[in-house]
Amino acid sequence: MTHHEVEKYRKPIRILHWIHSGAFVLLFLTGLILFIPGLGFLAEDSWTRIIHRIGAAIFVVIPIIYLIINPRSVGRGLKLAFTWNKDDIDWLKAAPRYYFLGDESDMPPQGEMNTGQKMWWLIVIVFGVLFVITGLIMAFAKTAAPAALFQWMVFIHDVSFIVSGAMLFVHIYLGVFHPLMTDAWSAITGGKVSAEYAKKHHGKWYTEVSKGKE
Amino acid sequence: MAEKAILYDATKCTACRGCQVACKQWNENDEAIPTEENGVQASNWGSYENPPDLSPQTWIKMRFTEIEVGGKVRWLFTRQACMHCTDAGCVRVCPNGTLYHTEDGFVVYNQDTCTGCGYCVEACPFDIPRMENSGILDIAGKMSKCTFCTTPGLDRIAASWEPACVKTCPTGALKYGNRADMVAEGQKRVQTLQAAGWTGANLYGENELDGLHVLYVLDDSPAIYGLPESPQISAATIAWKDVIQPVGWAVGGLAIVGLGMNWLVARANVKKEAKK
Repeated sequence: MTHHEVEKYRKPIRILHWIHSGAFVLLFLTGLILFIPGLGFLAEDSWTRIIHRIGAAIFVVIPIIYLIINPRSVGRGLKLAFTWNKDDIDWLKAAPRYYFLGDESDMPPQGEMNTGQKMWWLIVIVFGVLFVITGLIMAFAKTAAPAALFQWMVFIHDVSFIVSGAMLFVHIYLGVFHPLMTDAWSAITGGKVSAEYAKKHHGKWYTEVSKGKE
Repeated sequence: MAEKAILYDATKCTACRGCQVACKQWNENDEAIPTEENGVQASNWGSYENPPDLSPQTWIKMRFTEIEVGGKVRWLFTRQACMHCTDAGCVRVCPNGTLYHTEDGFVVYNQDTCTGCGYCVEACPFDIPRMENSGILDIAGKMSKCTFCTTPGLDRIAASWEPACVKTCPTGALKYGNRADMVAEGQKRVQTLQAAGWTGANLYGENELDGLHVLYVLDDSPAIYGLPESPQISAATIAWKDVIQPVGWAVGGLAIVGLGMNWLVARANVKKEAKK
């Protein structure tokens, strides 16, 4: 087979990904400090609060800018993420064998976004919205909001932190470390994956793409 | 070391506010001259209560309450300052140990390490801690409240003196000593009041939140004096600090361990496949 590549992520999406994820990591680390009493000294004099708020501003503004510049791309992504069919159910059933044992015999062919990626989208959307709503209330309605409301906002913010933080570990692991995700890193950095990888991991999508080209 | 406490007797208090002045003077908390800029209300608002609220510079304030009992107006005075709880909401939620208990049982804090998160303000059942307001973004303000006169450099307790508020009290409404003695004295006073016809008299703070280090002799229910009838650590505080944070560590830890195991297993199997 001749070695050729297909474009998985266009440049604007890659830029969006890295700025948004960079902001999230910044928010994650400055938030984590409040979880570890031994690191609390880092938050003295509110420096990490300022960084946290700068990170939050980027986290909120960047997707909005992207939505304004490129609404069709966002619409397409949402459509992909929320379109589920039998292949997705079969994927979930076959995934453990695949990710642990490398056995892909039962893996149904996937579109541009596989089931795992769709689930990650859901997590990003749900917890992103929860983070922003609770965060805005905590930052701007501190004195106006009743004490109980503020405390529950902190609670929800922390639940979001735990769930999305753990899922972020999974996301980074699959993107960078998993032995079978050979081209995931190059897809989000340079934008391209090998044809072989595309065929194996996104069979349905690869058929569509190669048809269009020929 | 024996725990210490302040005993405040509302029935002896004349609301002279000497304690407010002594507190500010000893702790070097400048009086806030009412201006629009600093938000301290300057206009008459229908009460002798002054200033209208606690602030980072006002750690103690007398609360004035007017109520009607049996057709008669009663004018009640209450001390509003940190209660130094044994089970303190502020200490529970403080993320980095800025707030802590001393051996005497006081709730004190190291303002240098305060991150300004403000969680203590919302967690306090008595609405005591106050944040400095540091401008429109409010990003660098620190918490401030009564230190039981233990502020480093201004530590009266270490010098075996009474707190400034107690020292200045002219009517004997404030007393200071071993907590056990203060409880005994408070109970005795309550009995005296009850014998004199104040059937609702009670000692507040003996068991509330596992025992406060400021005890109140009241001649009527705490609610009438503007105190919570049964102060409690909020459900949100418990759900957050005692449930969600340990769960968070477990989830984070399991995720990392699980991924590490997956990596070992998957790598071995992929190698096997490649050999075939």
